[in-house]
Amino acid sequence: MFKVDSLEYSYPGNAKKAVDKLSFEVKDGEIYGLLGPSGAGKSTTQKILIKLIKDYKGAITYKDKPLRAYDNSFYEDIGVSFEMPISFSKLTAMENLDFFRRLYKRTVDVEPLMKRVGLWDDRDRKAGEYSKGMKIRLNFVRALINGPKVLFLDEPTNGIDPLNARIMKDMILEFKQAGGTVFLASHIMSDVDQLCDRVGFIINGRIHEEDTPRNLKLKYGKKVVTVEYRENGLLKSSEFSMDALKGEDFAKMVREKQIETIHSGETTLEEIFIKVTGVALHEQQA
Amino acid sequence: MNSRLRALIRGEFVRLNRYNLFAASFVVSLFYVLMASFIDDAMVLGVMPFIFLLDSTMMTSLLVGATLFYEKKEHTVNSIMVTPASSDEYVTAKLVTSIATSLFTVVFVSLALYALKGVTYKYAHVIFAAVAVTSLHTMIGVRIAYSAKNFTSMLIGFMLYVTVFMFPSVLAMTGVIGPKLADFLVILPLETSANLMRAGFGPGVEPWKIVFGYLYITALTLLLYFFAVKPRFAEYMMREMGV
Ligand SMILES: Nc1ncnc2c1ncn2[C@@H]1O[C@H](COP(=O)(O)OP(=O)(O)O)[C@@H](O)[C@H]1O
Ligand SMILES: [Mg+2]
Repeated sequence: MFKVDSLEYSYPGNAKKAVDKLSFEVKDGEIYGLLGPSGAGKSTTQKILIKLIKDYKGAITYKDKPLRAYDNSFYEDIGVSFEMPISFSKLTAMENLDFFRRLYKRTVDVEPLMKRVGLWDDRDRKAGEYSKGMKIRLNFVRALINGPKVLFLDEPTNGIDPLNARIMKDMILEFKQAGGTVFLASHIMSDVDQLCDRVGFIINGRIHEEDTPRNLKLKYGKKVVTVEYRENGLLKSSEFSMDALKGEDFAKMVREKQIETIHSGETTLEEIFIKVTGVALHEQQA
Repeated sequence: MNSRLRALIRGEFVRLNRYNLFAASFVVSLFYVLMASFIDDAMVLGVMPFIFLLDSTMMTSLLVGATLFYEKKEHTVNSIMVTPASSDEYVTAKLVTSIATSLFTVVFVSLALYALKGVTYKYAHVIFAAVAVTSLHTMIGVRIAYSAKNFTSMLIGFMLYVTVFMFPSVLAMTGVIGPKLADFLVILPLETSANLMRAGFGPGVEPWKIVFGYLYITALTLLLYFFAVKPRFAEYMMREMGV
């Protein structure tokens, strides 16, 4: 869908590059995640991909055609949710949606969406009276209003409660199952872990590692199993390599000890992230 | 008119209403009527051009500026720019809305004055002048709002514009500038705007000034749009993009 090659951009009056030699691809029908600390360049990348920033260096293609060659009809296929809640504060939620709905050729019925995110009962309240979480959910509904083919989500679950985050994540997965493509920028590991087919770790405007969340965990994880057990009232733990699991020591422990937990040592994305970030920052300082 | 432009214009009106800008503008119109009703019947025709001038210049610029200011503050302009609506359509919607608002004032005040005092004037002239002057000052309002940090600095920007461009006209009125030289003042947008308005209220404005005025104001509006408003739209968006 989107191919990005050696993208470079710095904001006017800011010498530091917000994105720097950034290359990645968002494939048709996948959820691609950019994961990185704040200030890494995720939002800037999104703003470039949605054509809000135009004076970038490097090549971007959308459906194999240069992004610059598209006119405003590009947006008929695109849904965008920005990092911060955006709405006309003195218009009700429904009036906000109605305003944006009229700007598209193709639109969807908002009632099921608003019900799903739990805003239907508050639909006639002014957006300015919404809580931050409600505004973010309204952002999300607005992004879906034109039945887009590609969805851009910048920190979609930031500031909403776990239950609503779960609902939103389900909706994102359903969007993908229905054939949609998603670009997701986030600094929240669990979002990326649960949603993304592939993830790029972005630090200082550059991708330092990219793969499926599962492969990354295998690559960075230790191939060990940690067993916690209780002996004479004390909590103890032992580590076994994966190969050693067939051996007698492990079997004996399972048979004889009072085991409390068994964990395989795949790292969390969070640990990988800290590792990759640390290495990247170290390399830059050197 | 395409359906997007219609939707944008509709949105502008809904917001003018909800953000109480329409109410503010209506209160100002009531104030115009009140003011005119205290003035001698003989004098009122001399004052009306300035009331309509005030409305089509200052009220237009401030209203447009205020809507841009809200859109900047609430970042909604970014949202509009990721829909199929173009920046041309966006500015056109502002223009159409300004013109409609100015015309509403002209019609309302004219009706009220007719009812209160029975005064009439050349309505067609006033309407054409209001359209031309409002168009120009929509662009001026947009341009001032681009660089304004807040509502106060927008007001100051507009005051500056008025002061700078009125000053020579004041000199002419007080006789400091002779009548020969004063003819050149038509290059001042406010002077020419005033001429067009005055033409609706009796003779006294030379026909060449009217013809020149319409051509000049139209040209200025287009120049401003293509060289000051359109090219700087992206930059304005950038600066306000806290999203
Ligand atoms: N409007 C702006 N003007 C100037 N610099 C900016 C602007 N927005 C972001 N930046 C800078 O660009 C870099 C990347 O920011 P951003 O893309 O927002 O990061 P992220 O979304 O990953 O947190 C940061 O150094 C930030 O300070
Ligand atoms: Mg960001």
